[in-house]
Amino acid sequence: MDFKMIPNDIPLPIPTLGLDGVVVPVLWILLVVSWVVHILFINVLLGASAASVYYNKRGARENNPVFDRVAYLLTTPVTISENMGALWGVAPLLLISVMFTPLFYAAAIMNSPQWLHIIYGNIAAFLLSYLYKFTWHKLEHRKALHIAIGTAATGLFFTLPFVFMATVQLYMTPTTWTYDTHFWDALLRPDVFFRLVHFFLATFAVTGLFMMAYGKHKQKSEDKIDAEAGTVLLRTGKSWFIAPTVLNFFAGPLVLFSFPSYGIEGFFESGYYWLIVLSVAISIACLYLLLKDFFNDDVPASRIWTVVGLMAVVIISMATLRNGMRLALIGDAVAEATAKSEAFQKESEAARKAPPAPVATAANTPVGKQLADKHGCLACHAADKRLVGPSYQEVAAKGYSAEKIVELVKSPVPANWPDIQIPMPPQPQVPEADVRQIADWINSHK
Amino acid sequence: MFDFPIFDMPMFGHRLIFAFDAIVHVFISHGAAVGGSIILVLAQWLAIKHNDHKFDALAYKVLFTFFILATAVGALTGIGIWVHVNIINPAAIGALLRVFFWKWFVEWIVFNIEMVFLLMWFLSWKNRPLGTPAKASHFRLGLYYAIASWFTMAIITAILGFMMTPGNWLKSDFPAQPDYVAALTNVSWIPSLGFRTFFAIAWASAMAMLLTWFFTRDDEELRVKGLRFFGKIMLICTPLLILFGYWYYLQFPQAAKDLFVIGAITRRLSDSPQLALYLTLGLAALGLGGALTLYANPKRAPLLAAVVMLIGSSGLIGEFERVREFVRKPYIIYDYMYANGVRVIDMPLLNRDGYLKHAAFVPPEYRKVTADNQLKVGEYVYQMQCRYCHTIGGINAITARTKGWSEDAIYARIGSLNSPATPFMPPFAGNDEERHALAAYLADLGTKKH
Repeated sequence: MDFKMIPNDIPLPIPTLGLDGVVVPVLWILLVVSWVVHILFINVLLGASAASVYYNKRGARENNPVFDRVAYLLTTPVTISENMGALWGVAPLLLISVMFTPLFYAAAIMNSPQWLHIIYGNIAAFLLSYLYKFTWHKLEHRKALHIAIGTAATGLFFTLPFVFMATVQLYMTPTTWTYDTHFWDALLRPDVFFRLVHFFLATFAVTGLFMMAYGKHKQKSEDKIDAEAGTVLLRTGKSWFIAPTVLNFFAGPLVLFSFPSYGIEGFFESGYYWLIVLSVAISIACLYLLLKDFFNDDVPASRIWTVVGLMAVVIISMATLRNGMRLALIGDAVAEATAKSEAFQKESEAARKAPPAPVATAANTPVGKQLADKHGCLACHAADKRLVGPSYQEVAAKGYSAEKIVELVKSPVPANWPDIQIPMPPQPQVPEADVRQIADWINSHK
Repeated sequence: MFDFPIFDMPMFGHRLIFAFDAIVHVFISHGAAVGGSIILVLAQWLAIKHNDHKFDALAYKVLFTFFILATAVGALTGIGIWVHVNIINPAAIGALLRVFFWKWFVEWIVFNIEMVFLLMWFLSWKNRPLGTPAKASHFRLGLYYAIASWFTMAIITAILGFMMTPGNWLKSDFPAQPDYVAALTNVSWIPSLGFRTFFAIAWASAMAMLLTWFFTRDDEELRVKGLRFFGKIMLICTPLLILFGYWYYLQFPQAAKDLFVIGAITRRLSDSPQLALYLTLGLAALGLGGALTLYANPKRAPLLAAVVMLIGSSGLIGEFERVREFVRKPYIIYDYMYANGVRVIDMPLLNRDGYLKHAAFVPPEYRKVTADNQLKVGEYVYQMQCRYCHTIGGINAITARTKGWSEDAIYARIGSLNSPATPFMPPFAGNDEERHALAAYLADLGTKKH
């Protein structure tokens, strides 16, 4: 593989505690599992936020309390999934940062400052979504304002995947890096675009699954409006699941074939395509199970749970094959970063152990000069020319006594040097005995 | 570090935007989460004991505010610290992650427990009213939340302590063999944890007092009860945090202790070290004065007293964090890595072969100095070594530091950055040609307008 640029790996071992054979697979499993949980919460967060605003608006327009209730009910999963989604995002971020440090951090830096949007944009979206939830009853009669707040929160949440996707796709494709790759270059690439399309469709499909289960649960409620809201959720859930899932049959291949060819080859060679076949087959079965009872509001709970269970298998296979693609894409790059880092550390070790180049030895350097060097005087003064401060020849020409120099080092008088721009800072930290020796050396420049 | 891309933050510089995120995180995580959970559990315990519905309602209102702050701002700015450091100093955070991965992972699990109990405690408060048996189990949710949130602080404090006093954590330089236990049990961990615990509780009490003032505008009796309760907690914690703070201070390396004054009041003012003392005492007087006013006379204490108390104590926290970050210089991980991401042990190699030789993200034609590319190479060196702390014409501007200097003067100065004149600066890493290139670039900058 030809990489124009690969950073060194961090010069510390991955903390497997000497148990590579056990710990490394555990890290991989943790990565896939925590990422799945994270992304499911994020799917529900995005989908439920959008659905809540949609039904809030419809409820207000049609003056329908059931739609209003649907919208309100959806704010609780939003609160839970925004918190849990952020929390479960930390684990994959931690794992990626420790396993693929050079690739991931390089991509994050290339995508900065936009990368910071995942913090500040997120905080703003959180606060707006809380405002939306907790002013529900206060703003009952100012729906336009309330809906505007909800739209702003949802809109902001929807901007975050763009930043994540650009960074994730960039770190997985180090062959595409140039010396000035930046966020917009990454975001406007076809692979990032198709992955975003696939992601957003999956978001609505997952939210559809959630709404079916949630709706089925609410249908049993004793509160009449809650029960009716449950039916609305169930119906919406079905169509939200079905339409995006069908569309993703088309988006999926576009994602796959927009990856660099060596990634696709590695992916097929390792047999991960079987998981695609499996996912498509199960999804078709689920579509059939739901379409059969599409207009039936009393579709049995067991049917819903069967679909949810089957789709869980699909989600796990998709996450696994996604990880397979990652392996195919960055395996070589990680190996190269590790090798480079080893070589660098070896070179550094050799340079450290090499005998130091001969420098002026203590024997032929005056003590005063050694001390002036030690205390940093030579940062600004040279013997024979002006640097920041006057040369020591100039100082010596003033004819100060050693005592006077000691005093001036402690409290300099810039007025003595009207043509020096930077006043000397007082140097009380230098021991008096040392200053005396330095002073004697300065006066030796006469 | 030399082998990452460069992200330059013009005008404000990296330090400032990082500091903004970090200080907001400290205010909220210590106040609304760690300290807040502890004082609100105590408040709920008191309400249950006296079957006091009003006090229970007050505690819920404070929790509501803390919940919003902790989840929307506290948690995200915490992740933000990480994200900021990953683009500012990837070498440093990468190293910390490798050493503290499992502790961080445990912290993440505890963070989960914290979040779940917080959500349950907060969302079910009103469904479990006072006087019902359900309240006892509800109380336990808060207790678990408080324990978990303190535990996350305990782990993060170990990492901060490690950066300052890593001790003997590296058994071998190459191949690198960290001693994970030694890294965790570094000497400043426990003292700094005690210090942070009590300052978190005291600061949370200060926030709760301000909120109490707002939430009890039409109930004097409740105001007296609330202000006295939170005030008492704050006043008890103050001597404890001073005690632990002193123990913590004793652990600092001598070189760090020497930088305290500059850390407290910036270099420009450090000629008058007494200013640092006045500033600290002044802020403490504001904080404690406000608290005592509220405590002594809750009925008539003005809002101003609460505001003054908050300004004083937040000022102290800000000063502490600034000093802690500053005195660690020139290192980011003491004795191991300089603030600009260069490992101390790599200096001989970088000085011999050049810094840019290994710069993966610098185009190859700029990795060796020639007469034609000197200024551009100098710019790369500046960006990779200096912009961690300096900006070109904004905060801590490099052009202001070198104003009126000749190229020779700058070249000479680069040779002794880590000297008693500026002991907080890392030494220059690179060969002589690179040092000349940097000097030429900086001298050239000085001739331009900014």
